[in-house]
Amino acid sequence: MSAIRPGDAHLRDEVRRALAFLETPSSAPATAAMTSDLSIDEELNLHSISWEPVELVSGISLFSIPYGYWNWGQGEIVAASEAHSQAFATATSRIQSETAKAGGHGVVGMHIERAIHPTHVEISLVGTAVRPVGAAAINGTHIFTSDLSARDFTVLMVAGWEPLGLATGASFVFAPRRSMGAVIQQQSQNVELTNFTEAMYSAREAAMERMQRDALAMKGTGVVDVKVLEGPMHFASHAVGFVALGTVVRLAKATHQPIKPITVVSLNDLAVGFDAQTLG
Amino acid sequence: MSNPNTDLPQATEHRLEELEKGLFTSDLSVNEFLLIKEVGFHPLGFVMGSSIYHTGIQTRKWGQSQELTKLTEAMYNARELAMTRMEEEAAELGADGVVGVRLDVNYYEWGKDAAEFIAVGTAVKAEDGVSRLNQLGKPFTSDLSGQDFWTLRQTGYLPQGLVMGTCVYHIAHRGIGQTLGTTGQNVELPNFTQALYEARELAMTRMQDEATRLGASGIVGVRLEEKSHQWGSHTIEFLALGTAVTKTSDDITLAKPTTIISLDN
Repeated sequence: MSAIRPGDAHLRDEVRRALAFLETPSSAPATAAMTSDLSIDEELNLHSISWEPVELVSGISLFSIPYGYWNWGQGEIVAASEAHSQAFATATSRIQSETAKAGGHGVVGMHIERAIHPTHVEISLVGTAVRPVGAAAINGTHIFTSDLSARDFTVLMVAGWEPLGLATGASFVFAPRRSMGAVIQQQSQNVELTNFTEAMYSAREAAMERMQRDALAMKGTGVVDVKVLEGPMHFASHAVGFVALGTVVRLAKATHQPIKPITVVSLNDLAVGFDAQTLG
Repeated sequence: MSNPNTDLPQATEHRLEELEKGLFTSDLSVNEFLLIKEVGFHPLGFVMGSSIYHTGIQTRKWGQSQELTKLTEAMYNARELAMTRMEEEAAELGADGVVGVRLDVNYYEWGKDAAEFIAVGTAVKAEDGVSRLNQLGKPFTSDLSGQDFWTLRQTGYLPQGLVMGTCVYHIAHRGIGQTLGTTGQNVELPNFTQALYEARELAMTRMQDEATRLGASGIVGVRLEEKSHQWGSHTIEFLALGTAVTKTSDDITLAKPTTIISLDN
């Protein structure tokens, strides 16, 4: 890339070039060593169902939120909710294309990093691309992504299920306000604040519903390990964010396969019996 | 709230309708999901209930230990609202029960005097089509994990409901005279002991009463939590929580556990 001199900085072009570079990750030569952040145990787990790790892959996306959306308002902060879902979708498609290039069929153990700033949403995904041992690349067909560990992936496959992707939904809303009169009137009473309850309840439901729509679009029959993350924004405490995410699954075999667990009692001692230093 | 029949917001109806299209959602881990399937239940959906509640004010006497009935009532009422809504969501899905229930209290910066009480769990239905509703004809609730639920079913027990008892208690301060009188001595402080004892007993008794109403034969996984919320150090909520169970069949299918020695560190 040529150096940018003050005066003729074509920043827009530079950004575009950088983005184009991100869109087409350099493909590793076929003889390159495999990298993965899986532990030995996890790798053995994968091999037990004839899968193998291929490459450490990533996808990053930043989406801007137009200025001024976090100021006082009412109802949903649509720009933020949309930025979140678009950033997630873009980061996912990047990690998928990187996986396809590396010859993987899916991504397991994906770490998800999310940062919500006043002006943008940043999503970064890092995970290990996996494939059935020695399988050919599957360009064009769907590549699954999942934050399930390699161990969970293995157990799921043994039971006859397959992951299809990560479904997400986000909803950012303003907390409603109470009139001064109501605050004073309710001061000494036990009352439910119905407008607050409904606002928070609906926002949480909206996040989950978007996640469900995502899952239905992937033709899934279930979403497991759903997490609902929520809380006020650190830069705007009157705005509350709800994010739901989980792994979409579908029955891959004709029926669910029983896993028939056995119960065990470990005879290892759980802790050191006596430790004088912790006394007092 | 917007729907007079079920007390649930409109958004809930939409979400639950979508779930009836043959998709389930669940916050169960993969392990828990497979174990629930193993004992013949299928998850139907992630259900929740919430209530943002303003707690009233009750005056406390500095030197007197007493239950603060108004605050106890608030804690009960708010949790019941959240739990009932969660049960309504489960009933809407046609569930037999809710497993992995968690109760939580959130405080928001914009409402210091109010707290959000929230109940979440996974609605499940028996795959053999036999109803597993509890004595009151409602879906059972349980805070047991998928692993615990599996083990419980192997011994022929079925959860009837998540039962709780709560008591908000003000513990008297000690007078200067008392403090000086006991300086330098090893003594039991009977007023503190008695106050904590009584508060705990009240919470546990209330929990047991709930279990009796469900016709349960026992309560498993009981936890006793003590929280001061935002009331200062002398006002404490004692919360007893557990899953009421009844025996539904006599055959115990739990195999004798194998003993292992793990070579991990």
